[in-house]
Amino acid sequence: MTSVPVFRRFALAYGTAFALIYVIARARGLALFTVYPSLGIILMGMHRSRDVADPAMDFLAPEMWWYGWTATATLGALVIGSIATLFPTRWSCRFWPGWVWVAPVLAMIGCAYLTIPWFRQ
Amino acid sequence: MTTALLILHGLVAVALLGAITHQTLAAWTPSSARPRSFFGRFSAVQPAAYANAIVVLYVGTALLGAIVYLYFKVDIQPDLERDRHWHALGFFDLKEDFVAIGLGLLPAYWISWRRPFADERGWTAPALTTILGFIVWWGFLVGHVTNDIMGFGS
Repeated sequence: MTSVPVFRRFALAYGTAFALIYVIARARGLALFTVYPSLGIILMGMHRSRDVADPAMDFLAPEMWWYGWTATATLGALVIGSIATLFPTRWSCRFWPGWVWVAPVLAMIGCAYLTIPWFRQ
Repeated sequence: MTTALLILHGLVAVALLGAITHQTLAAWTPSSARPRSFFGRFSAVQPAAYANAIVVLYVGTALLGAIVYLYFKVDIQPDLERDRHWHALGFFDLKEDFVAIGLGLLPAYWISWRRPFADERGWTAPALTTILGFIVWWGFLVGHVTNDIMGFGS
């Protein structure tokens, strides 16, 4: 590889980072915001209905973190992708392009692991 | 309204399923000059020509799914939990995760078909296409089964 166009560097870094940040956000509860669809409200950060009220609130006001996890991964990947565009081309040549498909596979395996509790009920 | 959105989501997903399946097979199967079998003709397409359409269809399907998901969480999931469909809910959780990871892959997928690397043995584009194909098939089947559990209009 003699030259790596800027968008290509961004895309490779973004794709790799997005997958890894998503699974970390999923595992560590790092949602940028929490959506309560039945109430029509959005709270910044990760919240659980049971944290602030009666346990029955979880049924009455189910919370959704998927949008928040996706937003966290998007934001983090945008930062890392932007930083990657600033690197000299010779540095980015050392980045193995295969990471862009290896990282999502690892992230998907990680997500499958995090889903195991559903199958133990 | 929700049912109409769900049907639209399913229709766009069918188009995406066809496109990504064509592209995946074409990416991995060396095309012969004159394909004779059904499989040969199915995979004898220019895989790069599908990239733009797949990106648009994937984003469209994911956006529609993200809207329908709000209704699912409020109206459907409590019933599935009450009836103890834990496996279906687990597979649906994975669908959300896989779809999000697929969204993050789209820029790399798109650029890998537009300007392939010269020194990477041509693996990146087919590998990314295969991952997206798996995600699309997973999402389609799990969404279909989840919908079948509750039934149309229930």
